[in-house]
Amino acid sequence: MSETTPTNAPQAPAGPRWAAALGALPHCISNSPDGAVIEVEVAHLHAVLAALRDKAQFELCTFVTCIDHYPAEPRFALHHQLLSLANNDRVRVRCVLPGESAPTCTDLWPGASYMERECFDMFGVRFEGHRDLRRLLMPEGYEHHPLRKEFPHQGIEPDRLYREWDRKRREGWTEEA
Amino acid sequence: MGSLKPVGAESQESQGSGFFATRADFLINWSRKNSLWPMPLGLSCCGIELMGLLGPKFDLARFGAEAARFTPRQCDLLIVAGTLTWKMAQAARTIYDQMPDPKWVIAMGVCSSSGGMYDSYAVVQGVDSILPVDVYVPGCPPRPDAVIDALLKLQKKIEREDPLGRLVGPTVAPVGEEGTGELVFQPNHGLPKGPWDKHAHDPKSREDLGDPAPRKTEVKP
Ligand code: SF4
Repeated sequence: MSETTPTNAPQAPAGPRWAAALGALPHCISNSPDGAVIEVEVAHLHAVLAALRDKAQFELCTFVTCIDHYPAEPRFALHHQLLSLANNDRVRVRCVLPGESAPTCTDLWPGASYMERECFDMFGVRFEGHRDLRRLLMPEGYEHHPLRKEFPHQGIEPDRLYREWDRKRREGWTEEA
Repeated sequence: MGSLKPVGAESQESQGSGFFATRADFLINWSRKNSLWPMPLGLSCCGIELMGLLGPKFDLARFGAEAARFTPRQCDLLIVAGTLTWKMAQAARTIYDQMPDPKWVIAMGVCSSSGGMYDSYAVVQGVDSILPVDVYVPGCPPRPDAVIDALLKLQKKIEREDPLGRLVGPTVAPVGEEGTGELVFQPNHGLPKGPWDKHAHDPKSREDLGDPAPRKTEVKP
């Protein structure tokens, strides 16, 4: 992220600008080609995100997504990418999920709602506290989560919902006729 | 007869007061094929080519099919231009059902013809899984010229149809619509007139050819 760091505000050698905001919350900071990554446990995820928003001016949640590390256990890693408009600064929060549920961050950034819905749709990660956790891309009623690694890319009965709808529609026709 | 010949127009006196003698089915087919009203179902990138096709440069008006309407109730030619997903399939089938008979379908581009490169869980592997298709246009995307060619082929196909079968009863047994496995009476069902009508992709010749070839994308759980 060196190209987005303002030239008149060089990084202090003592650590990134937002490091103090995390305070005593247990975390570990590493560097990736995409910038700093904060690793946290799921129990502290919401507190870390809230601290970053309130104390370090990360006003924007760019995306929430998940990576499936199947067959490794635990398999899901949740990624929140945050952007600070005031400081032109980005940070990523990585959280390995022990199960399939995670705390929602829609109370911090309401715009994260669609991204959490997509994440639920594609990976089956349940966001506790999300007010309207429905599927976003796949049709309502679909049972599988397509971006999981064990999901075949040609799908499992991709036409089932359509065929059911089609059968009902045709039966409705014959009743009327 | 198969032509529109003015009768009695040879002499100067009868100019303008002559009449046409022709066959009813020829006249019906002639008027149908020259005023197809397309329903543009632009689903993705092919829709952009479709806009070019309807625009002045390629000028579909030359073939009588420029009156694109965005309500299916005023259209008789469904152009499926783009990637049809299973989620969208219900809407596409509803649009097809809402079009008044007689109606025809052009599958524009490899996505709507066969699923194309999207051999995936989300994409319908060819709109002929849910609709009867008359003409397939290859290409990704097809040039507007290719769609014009498809339209001319469709006009040739309409020429061979049997519009009076609706009044005097079907002259050939109705066949199932592709993908549904049910017998549906098609009022504009064509009369097979030669070997060109027996094409593996033509649902109207399925009875003669036996079962369709297995799809290239068999679902493996
Ligand atoms: S055939 Fe090619 S251009 Fe047309 S919708 Fe598919 S991917 Fe897009």
